[in-house]
Amino acid sequence: MDTVIEVRGLTKTYGTVKALDGLDLSIPRGGVYGVLGPNGAGKSTLFRTLLGLVRPTEGDATVMGGRMGDPKAMRRMGSMIETPRFPPFLTARQVLEWLGRAHGGVARTDIDAWLDRVGLNEAADRRVRGFSVGMMQRLGVAAALMTRPDLVILDEPTSGMDPPGIQEMRALIRDLADRDGVTVVLASHQLQEVQRVCDRVAILNRGRVVAEGLVSELTASGGRLRLTATPLAKAMAVLGDRGALDGDAVLAAIERAEAPALIRELVKAGVDIEEARWIGMDLEAVFMSETGWAGAPGGDHAG
Amino acid sequence: MLADALWSEAYRLVRNRTALFLGVFFVPLMFAVGGVAFHVLSKSKGDALAAQAALPAGMGGQAVDLALAFDMGAGGGANGAALAFMLIAAAVVYAGDYRWETWRLISARNTRPMLLMGKVGVMKLAALAAMVAYLLASFVFILSQGLVTGRPLTFDAGSVEPGRFLLVFLLSYVRIVQYGLVALLAAVLTRSLLAALFVPLVVGFVQTVMGGPLMGLVGWTPTMWAPQLLLPGLAYDTLKAAATGEVAPAGVVPKAILGLALWCLVPFGAALAWFSRQDLSKE
Repeated sequence: MDTVIEVRGLTKTYGTVKALDGLDLSIPRGGVYGVLGPNGAGKSTLFRTLLGLVRPTEGDATVMGGRMGDPKAMRRMGSMIETPRFPPFLTARQVLEWLGRAHGGVARTDIDAWLDRVGLNEAADRRVRGFSVGMMQRLGVAAALMTRPDLVILDEPTSGMDPPGIQEMRALIRDLADRDGVTVVLASHQLQEVQRVCDRVAILNRGRVVAEGLVSELTASGGRLRLTATPLAKAMAVLGDRGALDGDAVLAAIERAEAPALIRELVKAGVDIEEARWIGMDLEAVFMSETGWAGAPGGDHAG
Repeated sequence: MLADALWSEAYRLVRNRTALFLGVFFVPLMFAVGGVAFHVLSKSKGDALAAQAALPAGMGGQAVDLALAFDMGAGGGANGAALAFMLIAAAVVYAGDYRWETWRLISARNTRPMLLMGKVGVMKLAALAAMVAYLLASFVFILSQGLVTGRPLTFDAGSVEPGRFLLVFLLSYVRIVQYGLVALLAAVLTRSLLAALFVPLVVGFVQTVMGGPLMGLVGWTPTMWAPQLLLPGLAYDTLKAAATGEVAPAGVVPKAILGLALWCLVPFGAALAWFSRQDLSKE
């Protein structure tokens, strides 16, 4: 697999707190990759380490073929880590001009194009000290993308945005991956958002990867077949340990492929089935399950 | 890479008009305005008041020699007020990325030594701009004397010693840069804009104002190693006096050169070493 990021045994300790705990991760080239986790799971520390902003306590990583923090490799990448802040006396356009100079020069036409693409063309000449969080996010995304990187890391890019803004950002991210061929690594707390936009995800908890894979794979397993059937008692007898009552229906804990056979078995046993519906597991359920947040005793609600 | 760092830092400082004005141009402007006001006041009060004022030598004659501005302006940029106000620009340049959390935007694509050298380079340019502004202000001071009092203006090239002017100018430039490097070290160690502003002020106050009494207290004389190494202001004064032709005690000039050099190299080296291994995060 052609990867853009390879992380091996990455550990970062702040005092007695392990922000990253021997984390291993491979992020393939192309598409949108989501990094999920509760607060304090280590997402931002992972990104900061990959960018060379913080030094790892142990372990190593390569980014775009170079060692993490190597400026040559970093020049092929853009990033927005947490809610961006900018010198308040600069206008949005000046922020991009300043960062363009810091990054080896960006054409003025590109700056104008990015301001337009993130919806800031009307605010381009306003000082950023008056910007809302959502506007800061948009400017941060423009700053991350204006150098036309091959890889972009966006940490909570829709934080503080209104619903139309979130939709625009989602479309932009998908567009970057599908049309421009940019690999997008995205961290977000909005799990429905991630499910819609990401191809693969890694779920972090306590500085480790607890689940990783295609979104379709992660959400395929663990679903339930919901059957509205009579009599319920007979249906429950057929299902045995696999069945659970859910109001006037039963939930069957089976693989999706087993559903037709189960329905035939129930009919054969004299159960009338009024409705059969597959309830897939969404990313939120996977997240809750993998991070111990699903109301399970001992779940780490503090993140 | 250094060019990128320099270019972007310069761009940002130029657009921070408050810091640029207060840090670089305010003191020379006040000197020029104050000079004009002084001459106007002197004129209105009559020649007697002007005679009582401690004007530079040569200013009391019939003609006003514009060339005197070179002597006046060469070292003026390194006076206490100019140094103190220069710290405003230094603090903004050296600690701004901590203040606005903007290291994460610029640090990944450049090496840390280059980023720091870019900042120092911009402050060197700012120091040069301040000195040129002070030189111009000195011309305004002298020129206003001639214009206000109605004396003839002359330019006696013979009264300017280019070597002396360049040496004093260079020494003053080094002194400004050196003082700013203390702000750099304070910024990197504390990550605080306020500390970058006030730590050098306190250090400068202790070294300059308290330096004399402290030397007396411990029995030091200016010819000894310790005061020349510990008090960069004294080292600067020693070298400036030597540059302007004053006879320096034997062996004191090398001590002063070493003292001033160390006060440039040690803060920069320490800041670079610390910054190179520093985590640029809030944690």
